[in-house]
Amino acid sequence: MSIESTASQYLLLFRNSGEWHRGLSPQELQEVTDQWMNWFNRLSEQGKVTAGHPLAPEGKIVSGKNGQFVVDGPFVESKETIGGYFLLNVESAEEAIAIARECPGLAYGVRVEVRPVAAKCSLRETDGAELAESHA
Amino acid sequence: MGRNLLSRTLRIDMVASETLETDAPPGEIPQVVEHLFRHEWGKLVSRLTSIFGIDRLNLAEDLVQEALAKALQTWPYYGVPKNPAAWIMQVSKNLAIDYVRREKVFRDKEAEMISLLEEHNTDSDRSPSFAEEIKDDSLRMMFVCCHPIVPREAQVALALKILCGFSPAEIGKALLASEAAVAKKLTRAKEKIRSAGIPFEVPAGKELSGRLDGVLQTLYLLFNEGYKASSGPRLVREELCHEAIRLTSFLAEHPVGNCPKVHALLALMLFNAARLPTRSDCNGNILLLKEQDRSRWNRPLISSGMFHFSQSAAGNEISEYHIQAGIAACHCAAPNYQSTDWANILSLYDGLIEIDDSPVVALNRAVAIANVHGVAAGIEAVAGIRDRAKLDAYYLLYAVLGEFEAQLNHRDAAAGYFRRALELADTKSERQFLAKKLKASQQGVKEKNHKKGRALEAIG
Repeated sequence: MSIESTASQYLLLFRNSGEWHRGLSPQELQEVTDQWMNWFNRLSEQGKVTAGHPLAPEGKIVSGKNGQFVVDGPFVESKETIGGYFLLNVESAEEAIAIARECPGLAYGVRVEVRPVAAKCSLRETDGAELAESHA
Repeated sequence: MGRNLLSRTLRIDMVASETLETDAPPGEIPQVVEHLFRHEWGKLVSRLTSIFGIDRLNLAEDLVQEALAKALQTWPYYGVPKNPAAWIMQVSKNLAIDYVRREKVFRDKEAEMISLLEEHNTDSDRSPSFAEEIKDDSLRMMFVCCHPIVPREAQVALALKILCGFSPAEIGKALLASEAAVAKKLTRAKEKIRSAGIPFEVPAGKELSGRLDGVLQTLYLLFNEGYKASSGPRLVREELCHEAIRLTSFLAEHPVGNCPKVHALLALMLFNAARLPTRSDCNGNILLLKEQDRSRWNRPLISSGMFHFSQSAAGNEISEYHIQAGIAACHCAAPNYQSTDWANILSLYDGLIEIDDSPVVALNRAVAIANVHGVAAGIEAVAGIRDRAKLDAYYLLYAVLGEFEAQLNHRDAAAGYFRRALELADTKSERQFLAKKLKASQQGVKEKNHKKGRALEAIG
Protein backbone atom coordinates (compact mmCIF):
# COMPACT_ATOMS: atom_id res chain seq x y z
CA MET A 1 0.00 0.00 0.00
CA SER A 2 1.05 3.59 -0.41
CA ILE A 3 0.45 6.45 1.89
CA GLU A 4 0.14 10.01 0.65
CA SER A 5 2.90 12.18 2.04
CA THR A 6 2.02 15.68 3.12
CA ALA A 7 5.18 17.25 1.83
CA SER A 8 7.68 16.15 -0.70
CA GLN A 9 10.87 17.18 -2.30
CA TYR A 10 11.43 18.47 -5.77
CA LEU A 11 14.55 19.47 -7.49
CA LEU A 12 14.56 22.55 -9.69
CA LEU A 13 17.37 22.35 -12.19
CA PHE A 14 18.18 25.61 -13.96
CA ARG A 15 19.13 24.80 -17.50
CA ASN A 16 20.61 27.38 -19.76
CA SER A 17 23.18 27.89 -22.39
CA GLY A 18 26.31 29.07 -20.66
CA GLU A 19 26.03 32.30 -22.56
CA TRP A 20 22.58 33.38 -21.45
CA HIS A 21 23.75 36.23 -19.28
CA ARG A 22 26.37 37.45 -21.73
CA GLY A 23 23.82 39.37 -23.71
CA LEU A 24 22.40 41.25 -20.75
CA SER A 25 23.32 44.83 -19.98
CA PRO A 26 24.79 45.67 -16.55
CA GLN A 27 21.42 47.07 -15.55
CA GLU A 28 19.60 43.91 -16.58
CA LEU A 29 22.18 41.73 -14.85
CA GLN A 30 21.61 43.63 -11.64
CA GLU A 31 17.85 43.43 -11.96
CA VAL A 32 17.92 39.69 -12.47
CA THR A 33 20.40 39.33 -9.59
CA ASP A 34 18.07 41.30 -7.30
CA GLN A 35 15.05 39.31 -8.43
CA TRP A 36 16.75 35.96 -8.05
CA MET A 37 18.07 36.92 -4.63
CA ASN A 38 14.62 37.98 -3.45
CA TRP A 39 13.11 34.82 -4.88
CA PHE A 40 15.54 32.54 -3.11
CA ASN A 41 15.31 34.47 0.16
CA ARG A 42 11.54 34.47 0.14
CA LEU A 43 11.37 30.73 -0.50
CA SER A 44 13.93 30.13 2.25
CA GLU A 45 11.95 32.15 4.74
CA GLN A 46 8.83 30.25 3.84
CA GLY A 47 10.70 27.02 4.44
CA LYS A 48 10.07 25.92 0.88
CA VAL A 49 13.65 25.62 -0.24
CA THR A 50 16.05 23.56 1.81
CA ALA A 51 19.11 23.94 -0.34
CA GLY A 52 20.30 25.73 -3.42
CA HIS A 53 23.60 26.33 -5.09
CA PRO A 54 25.03 27.60 -8.30
CA LEU A 55 27.13 25.15 -10.25
CA ALA A 56 30.46 26.30 -11.56
CA PRO A 57 30.77 25.90 -15.30
CA GLU A 58 33.86 23.71 -15.31
CA GLY A 59 33.53 20.03 -14.67
CA LYS A 60 34.45 16.53 -15.68
CA ILE A 61 32.53 13.61 -17.02
CA VAL A 62 33.50 10.19 -15.86
CA SER A 63 32.48 7.17 -17.93
CA GLY A 64 33.53 3.70 -18.94
CA LYS A 65 32.96 0.46 -17.11
CA ASN A 66 35.74 1.14 -14.69
CA GLY A 67 35.42 4.85 -14.80
CA GLN A 68 38.48 4.95 -16.99
CA PHE A 69 37.30 7.87 -19.08
CA VAL A 70 37.52 11.26 -17.48
CA VAL A 71 36.96 14.09 -19.89
CA ASP A 72 36.27 17.77 -19.58
CA GLY A 73 32.66 18.69 -19.74
CA PRO A 74 30.06 19.73 -20.06
CA PHE A 75 31.19 22.80 -21.94
CA VAL A 76 29.58 26.14 -21.29
CA GLU A 77 29.44 26.82 -24.99
CA SER A 78 27.25 23.77 -25.41
CA LYS A 79 23.57 24.16 -25.88
CA GLU A 80 22.49 23.63 -22.33
CA THR A 81 24.10 23.00 -19.01
CA ILE A 82 22.78 23.09 -15.50
CA GLY A 83 23.68 26.38 -13.90
CA GLY A 84 22.32 25.67 -10.45
CA TYR A 85 19.60 24.00 -8.47
CA PHE A 86 17.04 24.47 -5.72
CA LEU A 87 15.90 21.61 -3.51
CA LEU A 88 12.29 22.36 -2.71
CA ASN A 89 10.21 21.15 0.17
CA VAL A 90 6.60 21.60 -0.99
CA GLU A 91 3.18 20.04 -0.90
CA SER A 92 2.78 19.02 -4.50
CA ALA A 93 4.10 18.95 -7.99
CA GLU A 94 1.79 21.81 -8.81
CA GLU A 95 3.38 23.92 -6.15
CA ALA A 96 6.87 23.06 -7.37
CA ILE A 97 5.86 24.05 -10.88
CA ALA A 98 4.29 27.27 -9.65
CA ILE A 99 7.55 28.14 -7.95
CA ALA A 100 9.52 27.23 -11.06
CA ARG A 101 7.41 29.65 -13.06
CA GLU A 102 8.70 32.48 -10.89
CA CYS A 103 12.28 31.98 -11.98
CA PRO A 104 13.64 35.39 -13.08
CA GLY A 105 15.85 33.78 -15.68
CA LEU A 106 12.93 32.51 -17.71
CA ALA A 107 12.61 35.83 -19.49
CA TYR A 108 16.13 35.33 -20.81
CA GLY A 109 15.85 31.76 -21.98
CA VAL A 110 16.60 29.83 -18.82
CA ARG A 111 14.64 26.58 -18.63
CA VAL A 112 13.67 25.08 -15.31
CA GLU A 113 13.51 21.33 -15.01
CA VAL A 114 11.21 20.19 -12.20
CA ARG A 115 11.98 16.71 -10.91
CA PRO A 116 10.39 14.95 -7.98
CA VAL A 117 12.86 13.45 -5.59
CA ALA A 118 11.78 9.80 -5.50
CA ALA A 119 10.52 8.66 -2.12
CA LYS A 120 12.65 6.09 -0.26
CA CYS A 121 9.85 3.61 -0.53
CA SER A 122 6.13 3.91 -0.88
CA LEU A 123 5.73 4.26 2.84
CA ARG A 124 7.33 7.06 4.76
CA GLU A 125 9.61 6.10 7.61
CA THR A 126 7.33 7.22 10.42
CA ASP A 127 4.29 5.58 8.85
CA GLY A 128 6.34 2.43 8.42
CA ALA A 129 7.25 2.54 12.10
CA GLU A 130 3.61 2.88 13.09
CA LEU A 131 2.69 0.00 10.84
CA ALA A 132 5.43 -2.12 12.31
CA GLU A 133 4.17 -1.35 15.77
CA SER A 134 0.60 -2.19 14.95
CA HIS A 135 1.77 -5.50 13.58
CA ALA A 136 3.99 -6.24 16.53
CA MET B 1 17.95 75.18 -22.61
CA GLY B 2 14.84 76.89 -23.75
CA ARG B 3 12.94 73.80 -24.76
CA ASN B 4 10.03 72.30 -22.95
CA LEU B 5 10.62 69.35 -20.70
CA LEU B 6 8.57 66.42 -19.76
CA SER B 7 8.78 64.18 -16.79
CA ARG B 8 6.76 63.10 -13.85
CA THR B 9 8.81 62.04 -10.90
CA LEU B 10 12.48 62.24 -10.34
CA ARG B 11 14.31 59.22 -9.06
CA ILE B 12 17.22 60.67 -7.24
CA ASP B 13 20.09 58.31 -7.25
CA MET B 14 22.82 60.70 -8.12
CA VAL B 15 25.12 59.51 -5.43
CA ALA B 16 26.77 56.33 -6.60
CA SER B 17 28.27 54.78 -3.50
CA GLU B 18 31.63 53.59 -4.58
CA THR B 19 32.24 51.22 -1.71
CA LEU B 20 29.26 50.05 0.16
CA GLU B 21 28.99 48.29 3.45
CA THR B 22 25.86 46.26 3.18
CA ASP B 23 25.44 44.74 6.58
CA ALA B 24 21.68 44.74 6.39
CA PRO B 25 19.71 45.00 9.59
CA PRO B 26 18.45 41.60 10.72
CA GLY B 27 15.34 40.45 8.96
CA GLU B 28 15.95 42.63 5.93
CA ILE B 29 17.05 41.24 2.65
CA PRO B 30 20.05 43.30 1.56
CA GLN B 31 19.52 44.95 -1.76
CA VAL B 32 22.16 45.91 -4.16
CA VAL B 33 22.50 49.69 -4.42
CA GLU B 34 20.50 50.90 -7.38
CA HIS B 35 22.52 50.99 -10.58
CA LEU B 36 25.62 49.67 -8.83
CA PHE B 37 26.51 47.38 -11.71
CA ARG B 38 26.18 50.16 -14.22
CA HIS B 39 28.09 52.67 -12.18
CA GLU B 40 30.92 50.27 -11.41
CA TRP B 41 31.19 49.35 -15.06
CA GLY B 42 32.92 52.56 -16.15
CA LYS B 43 35.41 52.44 -13.33
CA LEU B 44 36.35 48.82 -13.93
CA VAL B 45 36.55 49.01 -17.70
CA SER B 46 38.80 52.04 -17.31
CA ARG B 47 41.04 50.21 -14.84
CA LEU B 48 41.44 47.18 -17.08
CA THR B 49 41.99 49.39 -20.11
CA SER B 50 44.82 51.14 -18.33
CA ILE B 51 46.48 47.74 -17.98
CA PHE B 52 45.64 46.18 -21.34
CA GLY B 53 45.79 49.29 -23.47
CA ILE B 54 43.12 51.21 -25.37
CA ASP B 55 43.14 48.81 -28.31
CA ARG B 56 41.99 46.07 -25.97
CA LEU B 57 38.91 48.02 -24.92
CA ASN B 58 36.56 45.24 -26.00
CA LEU B 59 38.48 42.75 -23.88
CA ALA B 60 38.16 45.01 -20.86
CA GLU B 61 34.41 45.23 -21.39
CA ASP B 62 34.07 41.47 -21.82
CA LEU B 63 35.91 40.81 -18.58
CA VAL B 64 33.76 43.19 -16.59
CA GLN B 65 30.65 41.66 -18.16
CA GLU B 66 31.83 38.22 -17.02
CA ALA B 67 32.43 39.48 -13.49
CA LEU B 68 28.90 40.85 -13.32
CA ALA B 69 27.59 37.56 -14.68
CA LYS B 70 29.41 35.79 -11.87
CA ALA B 71 27.69 38.06 -9.38
CA LEU B 72 24.36 37.10 -10.89
CA GLN B 73 25.29 33.45 -10.56
CA THR B 74 26.41 33.48 -6.95
CA TRP B 75 24.92 36.38 -4.98
CA PRO B 76 21.37 34.99 -5.01
CA TYR B 77 22.65 31.95 -3.13
CA TYR B 78 25.32 33.43 -0.92
CA GLY B 79 23.98 36.90 -0.43
CA VAL B 80 25.31 40.31 -1.31
CA PRO B 81 28.95 40.58 -0.29
CA LYS B 82 29.87 43.10 2.36
CA ASN B 83 31.56 45.26 -0.23
CA PRO B 84 29.88 44.51 -3.54
CA ALA B 85 31.92 46.97 -5.58
CA ALA B 86 35.20 45.56 -4.30
CA TRP B 87 33.97 42.03 -4.93
CA ILE B 88 33.20 42.83 -8.56
CA MET B 89 36.56 44.49 -8.99
CA GLN B 90 38.41 41.57 -7.47
CA VAL B 91 36.57 39.06 -9.63
CA SER B 92 37.16 41.06 -12.79
CA LYS B 93 40.85 41.20 -11.97
CA ASN B 94 40.97 37.46 -11.34
CA LEU B 95 39.23 36.84 -14.64
CA ALA B 96 41.75 39.12 -16.30
CA ILE B 97 44.65 37.19 -14.78
CA ASP B 98 43.10 33.91 -15.93
CA TYR B 99 42.71 35.36 -19.39
CA VAL B 100 46.30 36.55 -19.60
CA ARG B 101 47.63 33.17 -18.47
CA ARG B 102 45.32 31.14 -20.63
CA GLU B 103 45.44 33.06 -23.86
CA LYS B 104 49.13 33.71 -23.89
CA VAL B 105 48.67 36.65 -26.23
CA PHE B 106 50.72 39.09 -24.27
CA ARG B 107 53.95 37.15 -24.36
CA ASP B 108 56.72 39.17 -22.75
CA LYS B 109 54.24 41.60 -21.24
CA GLU B 110 52.43 38.81 -19.44
CA ALA B 111 54.36 38.98 -16.19
CA GLU B 112 54.04 42.76 -16.03
CA MET B 113 50.31 42.65 -16.59
CA ILE B 114 49.74 39.98 -14.00
CA SER B 115 51.68 41.92 -11.42
CA LEU B 116 49.65 45.06 -12.22
CA LEU B 117 46.46 43.09 -11.84
CA GLU B 118 47.54 41.42 -8.63
CA GLU B 119 48.59 44.70 -7.13
CA HIS B 120 46.22 46.28 -4.67
CA ASN B 121 44.41 43.27 -3.42
CA THR B 122 41.38 43.73 -1.25
CA ASP B 123 42.84 45.50 1.74
CA SER B 124 44.86 48.08 -0.05
CA ASP B 125 41.92 48.59 -2.40
CA ARG B 126 40.86 51.16 0.11
CA SER B 127 44.11 53.06 0.11
CA PRO B 128 43.68 56.68 -0.96
CA SER B 129 46.37 56.39 -3.62
CA PHE B 130 44.61 53.47 -5.21
CA ALA B 131 41.36 55.39 -5.23
CA GLU B 132 43.18 58.22 -6.97
CA GLU B 133 44.51 55.88 -9.63
CA ILE B 134 41.03 54.54 -10.31
CA LYS B 135 39.77 58.09 -10.71
CA ASP B 136 42.61 58.89 -13.04
CA ASP B 137 41.76 55.89 -15.17
CA SER B 138 38.14 56.96 -15.42
CA LEU B 139 39.20 60.47 -16.29
CA ARG B 140 41.47 59.17 -19.04
CA MET B 141 38.57 57.21 -20.41
CA MET B 142 36.39 60.32 -20.38
CA PHE B 143 38.90 62.19 -22.50
CA VAL B 144 39.19 59.24 -24.88
CA CYS B 145 35.42 58.95 -25.32
CA CYS B 146 35.19 62.68 -25.96
CA HIS B 147 38.15 62.87 -28.31
CA PRO B 148 37.62 65.31 -31.20
CA ILE B 149 38.25 62.58 -33.75
CA VAL B 150 35.00 60.93 -32.71
CA PRO B 151 31.84 62.59 -34.10
CA ARG B 152 29.93 64.44 -31.38
CA GLU B 153 26.82 62.21 -31.28
CA ALA B 154 29.02 59.16 -31.26
CA GLN B 155 30.84 60.64 -28.26
CA VAL B 156 27.58 60.67 -26.35
CA ALA B 157 26.89 57.05 -27.31
CA LEU B 158 30.44 56.05 -26.43
CA ALA B 159 30.27 57.78 -23.06
CA LEU B 160 26.98 56.06 -22.32
CA LYS B 161 28.42 52.69 -23.28
CA ILE B 162 31.81 52.82 -21.62
CA LEU B 163 31.47 55.31 -18.79
CA CYS B 164 27.85 54.76 -17.87
CA GLY B 165 27.45 51.05 -18.63
CA PHE B 166 24.47 51.34 -20.95
CA SER B 167 23.99 48.60 -23.52
CA PRO B 168 23.50 49.47 -27.21
CA ALA B 169 19.82 48.60 -26.83
CA GLU B 170 19.48 50.92 -23.86
CA ILE B 171 21.33 53.69 -25.68
CA GLY B 172 19.04 53.24 -28.66
CA LYS B 173 16.02 53.62 -26.44
CA ALA B 174 17.45 56.77 -24.89
CA LEU B 175 18.47 58.44 -28.13
CA LEU B 176 15.59 57.16 -30.25
CA ALA B 177 17.82 55.16 -32.54
CA SER B 178 17.86 51.49 -33.43
CA GLU B 179 20.13 49.17 -31.53
CA ALA B 180 21.85 48.24 -34.76
CA ALA B 181 22.52 51.87 -35.61
CA VAL B 182 24.00 52.47 -32.16
CA ALA B 183 26.15 49.36 -32.35
CA LYS B 184 27.48 50.51 -35.70
CA LYS B 185 28.25 53.98 -34.37
CA LEU B 186 30.10 52.48 -31.43
CA THR B 187 32.12 50.11 -33.58
CA ARG B 188 33.14 52.94 -35.89
CA ALA B 189 34.06 55.19 -32.99
CA LYS B 190 36.19 52.51 -31.37
CA GLU B 191 37.84 51.80 -34.69
CA LYS B 192 38.67 55.48 -35.16
CA ILE B 193 40.20 55.59 -31.72
CA ARG B 194 42.23 52.49 -32.38
CA SER B 195 43.53 53.45 -35.79
CA ALA B 196 44.33 57.00 -34.74
CA GLY B 197 46.41 55.56 -31.93
CA ILE B 198 44.79 57.82 -29.39
CA PRO B 199 46.74 57.53 -26.17
CA PHE B 200 45.02 56.55 -22.97
CA GLU B 201 45.88 59.72 -21.11
CA VAL B 202 44.58 62.99 -19.80
CA PRO B 203 45.76 65.81 -22.06
CA ALA B 204 48.20 68.20 -20.48
CA GLY B 205 49.50 71.68 -20.99
CA LYS B 206 48.04 73.83 -23.74
CA GLU B 207 45.97 71.01 -25.13
CA LEU B 208 43.98 70.51 -21.95
CA SER B 209 41.70 73.54 -22.08
CA GLY B 210 40.39 72.87 -25.56
CA ARG B 211 39.97 69.17 -24.89
CA LEU B 212 38.16 69.95 -21.66
CA ASP B 213 35.77 72.17 -23.60
CA GLY B 214 35.08 69.21 -25.86
CA VAL B 215 34.29 67.00 -22.89
CA LEU B 216 31.95 69.64 -21.46
CA GLN B 217 30.15 69.98 -24.75
CA THR B 218 29.53 66.27 -24.85
CA LEU B 219 28.32 66.20 -21.24
CA TYR B 220 26.05 69.16 -21.99
CA LEU B 221 24.71 67.33 -25.02
CA LEU B 222 24.14 64.22 -22.92
CA PHE B 223 22.21 66.24 -20.34
CA ASN B 224 20.13 67.83 -23.06
CA GLU B 225 19.27 64.46 -24.55
CA GLY B 226 17.71 63.63 -21.25
CA TYR B 227 16.20 67.05 -20.78
CA LYS B 228 14.33 67.47 -24.02
CA ALA B 229 10.89 66.09 -24.57
CA SER B 230 11.62 64.44 -27.87
CA SER B 231 14.02 61.74 -26.79
CA GLY B 232 13.26 58.33 -25.32
CA PRO B 233 10.83 57.19 -22.64
CA ARG B 234 10.60 59.46 -19.62
CA LEU B 235 12.47 57.37 -17.07
CA VAL B 236 15.28 56.78 -19.49
CA ARG B 237 15.55 60.51 -20.14
CA GLU B 238 15.87 61.19 -16.42
CA GLU B 239 18.62 58.60 -16.27
CA LEU B 240 20.50 60.52 -18.90
CA CYS B 241 20.30 63.72 -16.86
CA HIS B 242 21.54 61.87 -13.81
CA GLU B 243 24.38 60.28 -15.70
CA ALA B 244 25.41 63.66 -17.09
CA ILE B 245 25.38 65.09 -13.58
CA ARG B 246 27.30 62.11 -12.24
CA LEU B 247 30.03 62.41 -14.86
CA THR B 248 30.27 66.18 -14.54
CA SER B 249 30.45 65.91 -10.75
CA PHE B 250 33.20 63.39 -11.10
CA LEU B 251 35.05 65.77 -13.40
CA ALA B 252 34.57 68.71 -11.03
CA GLU B 253 36.05 66.73 -8.16
CA HIS B 254 39.20 65.91 -10.03
CA PRO B 255 42.06 68.41 -10.03
CA VAL B 256 41.99 68.54 -13.83
CA GLY B 257 38.31 69.42 -13.91
CA ASN B 258 38.08 71.52 -10.78
CA CYS B 259 37.72 74.82 -12.61
CA PRO B 260 35.04 77.50 -12.91
CA LYS B 261 33.44 76.48 -16.19
CA VAL B 262 33.01 72.89 -15.04
CA HIS B 263 31.30 74.08 -11.86
CA ALA B 264 29.14 76.38 -13.94
CA LEU B 265 28.01 73.54 -16.18
CA LEU B 266 27.33 71.35 -13.18
CA ALA B 267 25.32 74.12 -11.52
CA LEU B 268 23.27 74.51 -14.68
CA MET B 269 22.53 70.80 -14.81
CA LEU B 270 21.59 70.66 -11.15
CA PHE B 271 19.24 73.67 -11.40
CA ASN B 272 17.48 72.19 -14.38
CA ALA B 273 17.32 68.70 -12.94
CA ALA B 274 15.77 70.16 -9.78
CA ARG B 275 12.77 71.27 -11.77
CA LEU B 276 12.24 68.01 -13.64
CA PRO B 277 9.50 66.69 -11.34
CA THR B 278 7.24 69.64 -11.99
CA ARG B 279 7.52 70.07 -15.71
CA SER B 280 4.43 68.16 -16.51
CA ASP B 281 1.22 67.38 -14.71
CA CYS B 282 -0.18 63.97 -13.99
CA ASN B 283 -1.63 63.75 -17.47
CA GLY B 284 1.68 64.44 -19.11
CA ASN B 285 0.76 67.97 -20.05
CA ILE B 286 3.52 70.53 -20.11
CA LEU B 287 3.51 72.98 -17.27
CA LEU B 288 5.06 76.36 -17.77
CA LEU B 289 7.42 77.86 -15.24
CA LYS B 290 4.53 80.00 -14.09
CA GLU B 291 2.40 76.95 -13.39
CA GLN B 292 4.99 74.70 -11.80
CA ASP B 293 4.60 73.77 -8.18
CA ARG B 294 7.80 75.15 -6.77
CA SER B 295 7.37 73.28 -3.51
CA ARG B 296 8.17 70.17 -5.51
CA TRP B 297 11.38 71.52 -6.93
CA ASN B 298 14.18 69.44 -5.53
CA ARG B 299 15.74 71.59 -2.86
CA PRO B 300 18.91 69.54 -2.30
CA LEU B 301 19.67 69.72 -6.00
CA ILE B 302 19.12 73.47 -5.97
CA SER B 303 21.42 73.86 -2.96
CA SER B 304 24.01 71.75 -4.65
CA GLY B 305 23.57 73.87 -7.74
CA MET B 306 24.05 77.05 -5.72
CA PHE B 307 27.20 75.61 -4.20
CA HIS B 308 28.73 74.86 -7.57
CA PHE B 309 27.48 78.16 -8.92
CA SER B 310 29.45 79.96 -6.24
CA GLN B 311 32.45 77.76 -7.04
CA SER B 312 32.17 78.90 -10.61
CA ALA B 313 32.49 82.52 -9.59
CA ALA B 314 36.25 82.17 -9.22
CA GLY B 315 38.63 83.41 -11.86
CA ASN B 316 37.81 85.90 -14.59
CA GLU B 317 36.49 83.66 -17.30
CA ILE B 318 32.78 83.89 -18.06
CA SER B 319 31.64 80.97 -20.13
CA GLU B 320 28.31 80.35 -21.71
CA TYR B 321 27.65 77.86 -18.94
CA HIS B 322 28.13 80.60 -16.34
CA ILE B 323 25.43 82.71 -17.90
CA GLN B 324 23.00 79.88 -18.43
CA ALA B 325 23.58 78.76 -14.86
CA GLY B 326 22.94 82.32 -13.70
CA ILE B 327 19.62 82.43 -15.52
CA ALA B 328 18.61 79.07 -14.08
CA ALA B 329 19.69 80.27 -10.64
CA CYS B 330 17.40 83.29 -10.93
CA HIS B 331 14.44 81.05 -11.60
CA CYS B 332 15.36 78.62 -8.85
CA ALA B 333 15.88 81.40 -6.34
CA ALA B 334 12.46 82.92 -6.90
CA PRO B 335 9.96 81.60 -4.37
CA ASN B 336 7.19 82.12 -6.90
CA TYR B 337 6.87 83.17 -10.50
CA GLN B 338 5.82 86.69 -9.67
CA SER B 339 8.99 87.43 -7.76
CA THR B 340 11.29 86.26 -10.55
CA ASP B 341 14.07 88.75 -11.09
CA TRP B 342 13.50 89.33 -14.80
CA ALA B 343 15.74 92.37 -14.91
CA ASN B 344 18.64 90.25 -13.78
CA ILE B 345 17.72 87.53 -16.24
CA LEU B 346 17.58 90.04 -19.04
CA SER B 347 21.02 91.39 -18.27
CA LEU B 348 22.29 87.81 -18.25
CA TYR B 349 20.76 87.25 -21.66
CA ASP B 350 22.39 90.46 -22.84
CA GLY B 351 25.68 88.90 -21.81
CA LEU B 352 24.83 85.55 -23.35
CA ILE B 353 23.92 87.02 -26.68
CA GLU B 354 27.37 88.52 -26.93
CA ILE B 355 28.92 85.07 -26.65
CA ASP B 356 26.26 83.22 -28.56
CA ASP B 357 23.99 85.30 -30.77
CA SER B 358 22.06 82.35 -32.08
CA PRO B 359 18.40 82.96 -32.89
CA VAL B 360 17.24 80.61 -30.11
CA VAL B 361 19.11 82.60 -27.47
CA ALA B 362 17.70 85.78 -28.98
CA LEU B 363 14.21 84.35 -28.75
CA ASN B 364 14.64 83.53 -25.08
CA ARG B 365 16.00 87.03 -24.57
CA ALA B 366 12.90 88.45 -26.21
CA VAL B 367 10.77 86.69 -23.60
CA ALA B 368 12.88 88.28 -20.87
CA ILE B 369 12.48 91.68 -22.55
CA ALA B 370 8.73 91.25 -22.60
CA ASN B 371 8.75 90.49 -18.90
CA VAL B 372 10.78 93.59 -18.12
CA HIS B 373 9.63 96.14 -20.70
CA GLY B 374 6.23 94.87 -21.74
CA VAL B 375 4.81 92.71 -24.48
CA ALA B 376 5.17 95.26 -27.26
CA ALA B 377 8.88 95.45 -26.60
CA GLY B 378 9.00 91.68 -26.69
CA ILE B 379 7.35 91.55 -30.10
CA GLU B 380 9.77 94.14 -31.38
CA ALA B 381 12.67 92.12 -30.04
CA VAL B 382 11.50 89.03 -31.88
CA ALA B 383 11.15 90.98 -35.11
CA GLY B 384 14.70 92.15 -34.66
CA ILE B 385 16.26 88.75 -34.19
CA ARG B 386 19.30 88.31 -36.37
CA ASP B 387 18.93 85.34 -38.74
CA ARG B 388 15.31 85.13 -37.73
CA ALA B 389 14.65 83.00 -40.80
CA LYS B 390 16.45 80.16 -39.09
CA LEU B 391 13.57 79.96 -36.65
CA ASP B 392 10.98 79.48 -39.38
CA ALA B 393 10.50 75.82 -38.56
CA TYR B 394 10.98 76.25 -34.81
CA TYR B 395 7.66 75.84 -33.12
CA LEU B 396 8.62 77.88 -30.06
CA LEU B 397 8.97 81.00 -32.18
CA TYR B 398 5.28 80.86 -32.97
CA ALA B 399 4.37 79.75 -29.49
CA VAL B 400 6.11 82.82 -28.06
CA LEU B 401 4.53 85.19 -30.60
CA GLY B 402 1.17 83.58 -29.95
CA GLU B 403 1.66 84.22 -26.25
CA PHE B 404 2.53 87.84 -26.86
CA GLU B 405 -0.49 88.43 -29.07
CA ALA B 406 -2.75 86.66 -26.59
CA GLN B 407 -1.53 88.98 -23.83
CA LEU B 408 -2.53 91.92 -26.00
CA ASN B 409 -5.90 90.31 -26.65
CA HIS B 410 -5.21 90.06 -30.36
CA ARG B 411 -7.12 86.81 -30.54
CA ASP B 412 -6.92 86.17 -34.24
CA ALA B 413 -3.22 86.88 -34.44
CA ALA B 414 -2.63 84.64 -31.44
CA ALA B 415 -4.69 81.82 -32.93
CA GLY B 416 -2.78 82.10 -36.17
CA TYR B 417 0.53 81.74 -34.41
CA PHE B 418 -0.60 78.84 -32.22
CA ARG B 419 -1.93 77.05 -35.26
CA ARG B 420 1.42 77.36 -36.96
CA ALA B 421 3.22 76.21 -33.82
CA LEU B 422 0.93 73.21 -33.60
CA GLU B 423 1.90 72.18 -37.10
CA LEU B 424 5.56 72.25 -36.21
CA ALA B 425 5.56 70.72 -32.76
CA ASP B 426 7.31 67.36 -32.41
CA THR B 427 5.82 65.63 -29.46
CA LYS B 428 2.39 64.75 -28.22
CA SER B 429 2.73 66.77 -25.04
CA GLU B 430 3.85 69.85 -26.92
CA ARG B 431 0.92 69.52 -29.30
CA GLN B 432 -1.51 69.03 -26.43
CA PHE B 433 -0.17 72.15 -24.80
CA LEU B 434 -0.44 74.21 -27.97
CA ALA B 435 -3.90 72.89 -28.76
CA LYS B 436 -4.99 74.12 -25.35
CA LYS B 437 -3.51 77.53 -26.10
CA LEU B 438 -5.16 77.66 -29.49
CA LYS B 439 -8.52 76.79 -28.03
CA ALA B 440 -8.14 79.42 -25.32
CA SER B 441 -7.30 82.12 -27.83
CA GLN B 442 -10.19 81.13 -30.03
CA GLN B 443 -12.55 81.36 -27.12
CA GLY B 444 -11.07 84.74 -26.39
CA VAL B 445 -10.15 83.90 -22.86
CA LYS B 446 -8.90 87.16 -21.47
CA GLU B 447 -5.52 87.03 -19.94
CA LYS B 448 -4.82 89.30 -17.09
CA ASN B 449 -2.99 92.29 -18.30
CA HIS B 450 -0.43 93.86 -16.06
CA LYS B 451 1.97 96.46 -17.13
CA LYS B 452 5.68 96.21 -16.83
CA GLY B 453 7.13 93.09 -15.32
CA ARG B 454 3.94 91.26 -16.07
CA ALA B 455 3.99 87.53 -15.73
CA LEU B 456 4.39 86.54 -19.32
CA GLU B 457 4.45 82.81 -19.37
CA ALA B 458 8.00 81.81 -19.90
CA ILE B 459 8.56 78.50 -21.56
CA GLY B 460 10.30 76.72 -18.74
